[in-house]
Amino acid sequence: MTEKTLRKGNEALAEGAIRAGARFFAGYPITPQNEVPEYMAAHMADAGGAFVQAESEVAAINMVYGAAATGTRSMTSSSSPGISLKQEGITYLASADLPCLIVNVMRGGPGLGSIGGAQGDYFQATRGGGNGDYHVIVLAPNSVEELGNFPKLGFELAEKYRMPCMILADGILGQMMESMAFNFDPVDPNQLGKFDWAVDICKGERGKSKVFSYKGDNLIADVTERAKRYGLIEETEARFEQRNCEDCDVLLVAYGLSSRACLEAISLAKEAGIKLGLFRPITLWPFPSKQLFELAQKAKAVLTVEQSLGQLVQDVKLAVDGKVPVYLNAYPAGGQPDGEKIVTAAKSCLNGGKEGLFDVREHAEGFTYDCKRNTALGVQGDCKGGK
Amino acid sequence: MPRIEVDVNKCKACYLCVNACPKKCLGKSKTISKKGYFPAQMEHPENCIGCKMCYMMCPDIAITVIKD
Repeated sequence: MTEKTLRKGNEALAEGAIRAGARFFAGYPITPQNEVPEYMAAHMADAGGAFVQAESEVAAINMVYGAAATGTRSMTSSSSPGISLKQEGITYLASADLPCLIVNVMRGGPGLGSIGGAQGDYFQATRGGGNGDYHVIVLAPNSVEELGNFPKLGFELAEKYRMPCMILADGILGQMMESMAFNFDPVDPNQLGKFDWAVDICKGERGKSKVFSYKGDNLIADVTERAKRYGLIEETEARFEQRNCEDCDVLLVAYGLSSRACLEAISLAKEAGIKLGLFRPITLWPFPSKQLFELAQKAKAVLTVEQSLGQLVQDVKLAVDGKVPVYLNAYPAGGQPDGEKIVTAAKSCLNGGKEGLFDVREHAEGFTYDCKRNTALGVQGDCKGGK
Repeated sequence: MPRIEVDVNKCKACYLCVNACPKKCLGKSKTISKKGYFPAQMEHPENCIGCKMCYMMCPDIAITVIKD
């Protein structure tokens, strides 16, 4: 426990990770997460750990792969395009059953995108951007305080289930300053128990291999065992927060920064005489589907608020299972949700209007596409293959 | 001997003073300030010559140079 201090999101995260016992960090600079490696460079050595600025994102995640194999609490951080580069390493970490912490401070996409905050990496984080049947535990903080406190939770979950854990923050959360307190005492990694699976000193003899990413003929058994573990995680580790969920007309579903705008919307709607509730998943994988299924049926409609274009809404629809209509209020690629817009969308949910709601079919209506012209920017394209 | 005082409540951790000091006396503090920054601090007071370069450079008037 500490007193409240004013901290920048990224710095709170880095300090939180060091306090949580992280003793290896490898990263490569990318806006908007640069404060994480900057902080690590200044403070990791004092904690007795190692900081490496790797030559690339791919190198960084593979350094974490190696450090994690020794049982050290190791982590890396990046932003969206950097996490795309790390996907190969993440799927190898998952296949070798190694715990580590990966931080994604999301920015706009696809491709290079923008450097502002966005939530476009929901699919990548929850579905896995790498190959094969695997998942990573995804934690979604919505305040600087949670950013500072989630690394400990992340390491504990990762080590409990021997799998990578991802903290999915966004550029705005990483860059903003808020007063926060750490709700745990610094962890001494030497006091943590040793793992049987960890690679240790071979003392001049070549011992039996311990960490594998290639399972050979045992692959089916291996993947099946992992699927059972995933089932256990989905049963027991789903976390969420609720506000006014028991008594509301429209249930808002949002995670991360957009859930903060929803809190504003709840108080604005109260003045307008509409009862809004908020369901905020804290773990995006495992998604708290059962809890949402039950709470959604107490509302007349469910409105998903996300800073992406129809990603979270898919999990919401799967969870609600058609019992209540599900609508989408989207702010993709760096758009900022605000309370009034959410209230407008919530009104549309109740009175059958269209304002504020995103519907793919309606957007496609009357839309013509000329492959020679970039319709968004209004510039001539060079499309030789099309007609 | 000349010495400096950094007002940690004014310092915004731009470290311009750290670069400006010709004797490389200044460094970064490891403790966080009320404003959420790691302020500049005197690390090698024995080298300070009281040239006032840090004080001239500081955009937030956070540095006082004292010549006793």
